[in-house]
Amino acid sequence: MDPLSLLRGVLDTAEDAARALIGRERLRLAVTGLSRAGKTVFLTSLVANLIAAGRGARTLPALSDAAGGRIRRVFVVPADTETVPRFDPEAHLAALAADPPRWPERTEDFSTLSIAVDVERRTSLGGILPERRVTLDLIDYPGEWLLDLPLLGTGFAEWSAATLARLRRGRRAEAAAAFLDFLDALPPDAPAEDALAKRGYGLYRDALRACRDTHGLRLLQPGRFLNPGPRGEAPLLWFFPLPETARGGLAALCARRYAAYLDDQRTTFLDPFFSRFHRQVVLVDVLGALHAGQEAFEDTADALAAIAGVISGANLIERLLGAAPTRVAFAATKADHVPTRARDALAALLEHLALGARGRAEASGAATAFHALAAIRCTEDAVATLEGRAFPAVRGILLNEGKGATIYPGEVPMKPPEPAFWDAAFFQMPEFRPPRLDPAGGSGVPHLGMDGLLAWLLGDAL
Amino acid sequence: MSGAPQPRIILDEGAAPAQRLDFGWEKAVAAPPAEAARWSSAGLVAGGIAVLLLGLALLEAGNFVAAQFARAAWLGAVTLAVALAGFGLVFWGIAREARGYLGLASVDRARAAHARGDAAALRRELAAWQARLPPGRARAGALEDMPMEAACALVESKVLAPIAQDAAALGRHAAMQAFAVTAISPSPALDALVFGWRGIRLVRQVAALHGFRPGIAGTLALLRRVAMDAATVAATDVAVDAMVRGLLSSRVAEHVAGEAAAGAVAARRMILLARAADEACRVIPRAR
Repeated sequence: MDPLSLLRGVLDTAEDAARALIGRERLRLAVTGLSRAGKTVFLTSLVANLIAAGRGARTLPALSDAAGGRIRRVFVVPADTETVPRFDPEAHLAALAADPPRWPERTEDFSTLSIAVDVERRTSLGGILPERRVTLDLIDYPGEWLLDLPLLGTGFAEWSAATLARLRRGRRAEAAAAFLDFLDALPPDAPAEDALAKRGYGLYRDALRACRDTHGLRLLQPGRFLNPGPRGEAPLLWFFPLPETARGGLAALCARRYAAYLDDQRTTFLDPFFSRFHRQVVLVDVLGALHAGQEAFEDTADALAAIAGVISGANLIERLLGAAPTRVAFAATKADHVPTRARDALAALLEHLALGARGRAEASGAATAFHALAAIRCTEDAVATLEGRAFPAVRGILLNEGKGATIYPGEVPMKPPEPAFWDAAFFQMPEFRPPRLDPAGGSGVPHLGMDGLLAWLLGDAL
Repeated sequence: MSGAPQPRIILDEGAAPAQRLDFGWEKAVAAPPAEAARWSSAGLVAGGIAVLLLGLALLEAGNFVAAQFARAAWLGAVTLAVALAGFGLVFWGIAREARGYLGLASVDRARAAHARGDAAALRRELAAWQARLPPGRARAGALEDMPMEAACALVESKVLAPIAQDAAALGRHAAMQAFAVTAISPSPALDALVFGWRGIRLVRQVAALHGFRPGIAGTLALLRRVAMDAATVAATDVAVDAMVRGLLSSRVAEHVAGEAAAGAVAARRMILLARAADEACRVIPRAR
């Protein structure tokens, strides 16, 4: 920790203490998750249901109970002079409620939002004293960028070696065939030609995209190759992993751009938003990983361990300064894609999947918990008759076709499955239409398990 | 997959598109209806005494009027006129009290409508409230077909902000008077009396800015609300208040300013009281 960060940490800790003293706490909630884990929908549901709960609706009963029914009002804190775009839950909700409905597009940029929760004080004089105000700072961002965090402590040579080793194995080798051919044809002393750098970047980026979209893999770095954000594909990105035999000008150029890329990500993304937060929720599409096969499942576990190690693995000074989260909740999203009786198995499977991440979070002093949730519930329980036997299933309306369908999602094991389990073919869970929603969100949105998660994560702070 | 069937999708039969699922969420999460206000024991006793006094007085007056008519028609007519005039004034006074008291309840209704996001009810309450505002006060005009947030922002900037400024001016005026009286008054008991009287008058003046004409019961209800809101106002203003108290109540300041230091604290309280009264009378919560 450099002296400037230390000073900033001390000031932030002093501010937190002063805020707590006058009943105006600020709680930074990091909603982390790999791409397509459902961060945007989670935040939309969180905001809509919290605001409805502030109006007296029982949208989050477990949270209300955890707060002892003392939540008086919830409102979006008006914007000040922020330069960061504002997360727009109303627009997302309107798109979900529209006919035909639309799920949020892939997140391309940051956006932030602050929610104020006014709660009556716990003391016997709570009715007379002014209410406490807990402000929740939320942030939405492209999930792909999260995997740049572990790169911060990794040099170009080390990253290249690890990435190429992975690329030459399993499904990655198939997806990256063109890039690997290009790499093999590249002379070790290749000159620092931009045309070469750009060509290599394009092939590597296409390989990453194929790994993500076709094979459901998640440990794909650097993040901006997959999601360049509002600044587009700047020359900063024109680099790619090179074997250690490469010694020419191109290798030096790639190494320089790699360092500049990390510096840029640190300045614009990591330091402002991920240097200090109080609570963390890690969203994981466990079912998607399970259906994408063994390699994708293990890859998701590796990716989770990598990001959790960096985010939660605060050092002693950071912990003493309150810069490390005190509670980290892991949540298996899209729990409505499995019948009720399989949801506990989904949470249990997540516990195994995130074993490495959990260990690191607990080592840094944070309490951990595992949940299964659906930020917006899109299905109802049903029964599917397969091969003459009845199996619990779910029924929903398919997003594109608009037709009803009963889905049997297969067996959800409570722990990492046996090798025979993976013999099954790749299964793509269809997208469902959201249920009928109030576009204004006056009553929140139907969900599964959001209240239990929030009660554990925030209940003690209210 | 370990004996269990493979995952699969079974499409509904028929080609017709299906309706979106409806979980009846709005009904399931609707806030429980508010409990009807219950009378306290003291309220019941006071109500009973009032009914007995008024009822028996009415019956007694009726009997008396009938007896007077039995004596002579002109005597009965005169007695009836006196009784009607007397009871008319009493009921008129009661009606004014009730109107003043119930006027304050409209603040709670408007705030509740705002809190639960009921745009139609809030617009109704705001229209009724604007109609009650004193002549010459700027109004936000028609609020129909306007989103709730926009209507609130318009009312805030066009009506409530000028009222808050006027309330602050009244507060400063009262503060000057309190300062002057406290500085020159011969006894602390008189200070308290003057301060109390000026405070009640200030609260009523601020309520009048918001279109309320509280009678005795209304003023009592208003004072209770102001006491609650004063805590909030004081909390947000705690640093300034503490600094002023610290500076002006210190021994040094007392030595320099003498009784004026205590007067300054009293004046500061008047300004806070004006703000608390303004807070208590606002139909929509202050923009955060």
